Amino acid sequence: MKLAYLTISAAILALAVWNLWTEKDWRKQAAAAMVAMPLLLRVFLVK
Amino acid sequence: MMKKHHISALAVSVIALAMAVTASRTFLEHRIVEPIVKGPGVSEIRRLSAWFPGLAGTPGDTDVYIFRGDAPGGSMLIIGGTHPNEPSSFMSAVLLVENATVEVGTLYVIPRANASGFTHNDPQEGAPVSYSFTLEDGSRRTFRYGSRATNPVHQWPDPDVYIHAASGQALSGNETRNLNRGYPGRPDGTLTELVCYGITQLIRTQKIDLSIDLHEASPEYPVINAIVAHERAMPVASYVVLGLEMYDINIGLEPSPKNLRGLTHRELGDATDTLAVLMETANPSQGRLRGRTDEALVLTGKDPYYVKAQALGRLYVPFDENGHPMEERVGRHLAGISEFAFALSMEYPDKPLELSGIPGYDELLAKGVGAYLRPAR
Repeated sequence: MKLAYLTISAAILALAVWNLWTEKDWRKQAAAAMVAMPLLLRVFLVK
Repeated sequence: MMKKHHISALAVSVIALAMAVTASRTFLEHRIVEPIVKGPGVSEIRRLSAWFPGLAGTPGDTDVYIFRGDAPGGSMLIIGGTHPNEPSSFMSAVLLVENATVEVGTLYVIPRANASGFTHNDPQEGAPVSYSFTLEDGSRRTFRYGSRATNPVHQWPDPDVYIHAASGQALSGNETRNLNRGYPGRPDGTLTELVCYGITQLIRTQKIDLSIDLHEASPEYPVINAIVAHERAMPVASYVVLGLEMYDINIGLEPSPKNLRGLTHRELGDATDTLAVLMETANPSQGRLRGRTDEALVLTGKDPYYVKAQALGRLYVPFDENGHPMEERVGRHLAGISEFAFALSMEYPDKPLELSGIPGYDELLAKGVGAYLRPAR
């Protein structure tokens, strides 16, 4: 179950990063980065 | 050529990564295990996995300090750090390890029962990362302020509803990471249940006569400054209540509820032959009515909002401007442990347990906790 949740987190992280790099408005890029940060910490098992 | 929005994406990514790295350093520092200095009475240090190999190599494995007396007798297990956001529980176990000696019988001390819970703290609680004590030689010892529950990095996800395995009782989903809802544990369960099972196996294998689980409670919580005892432990616990009265320490005695499952005082008493009790002191730093939450609150236990709450009759423990400092809370636990050893010897003369070197209640109030910590080199 933990592996499944980590896989889901990694997938959403990838989407957030993709959104960050394709979005043209820097404010929406910043919003994508804020979504990505906690996912990054969880995928790397930091927090 | 790089497009304009790619330049801003790069800038945002760099800032985000810098923030993530900074936060990660703080989170990872929480996993550093502070030393506990082996005192003169410690005969052996073993890992909990010695009693349940399924814990070996997991974040749930933890040190068990063993004190063997010169003569055989009764045995006692002290469970500290069940909830790592209840620091007097952990600090009482640390002071035992660094000061106690055993003349008769055997003492087992687990300072970090939920070792995983010490590796993080609870989001949105504003809890301090750590708290420190100044020692008599002027050096300082610092200890982590942890979380009530197992680190979700080690046990994830939480179910919507937690079903206690032994009884089928349903609890809130996040209680699945609460060590004191998982007893007696199971060998193929979650990490939290594995730790519970390990402690249960230790008690069974070593035939522990008396098990004391140390806790703290919010001042607005009804079970506070109290002993909660399994029905078989009631006679011994009654001795302790009377004994503590001799030191002007008022402590309540509560029977372990039969329908509240997963807790040490119920499950260890039912699943093993040990006399299972739990002790609570008053800790405003984990309460809901507290104000600023910092190291000072953890150490001094002073909070103006709890003084107001006391005036309004909302608390279950006396609370004035003097608060409930760490030395008082640790002193209550240690005085209780000394009395339990005495009471076990009185009630069961064939299981004598004689402890010494434990800092006294008045000594702790006078000198503070730091006076009884050994320098960590």
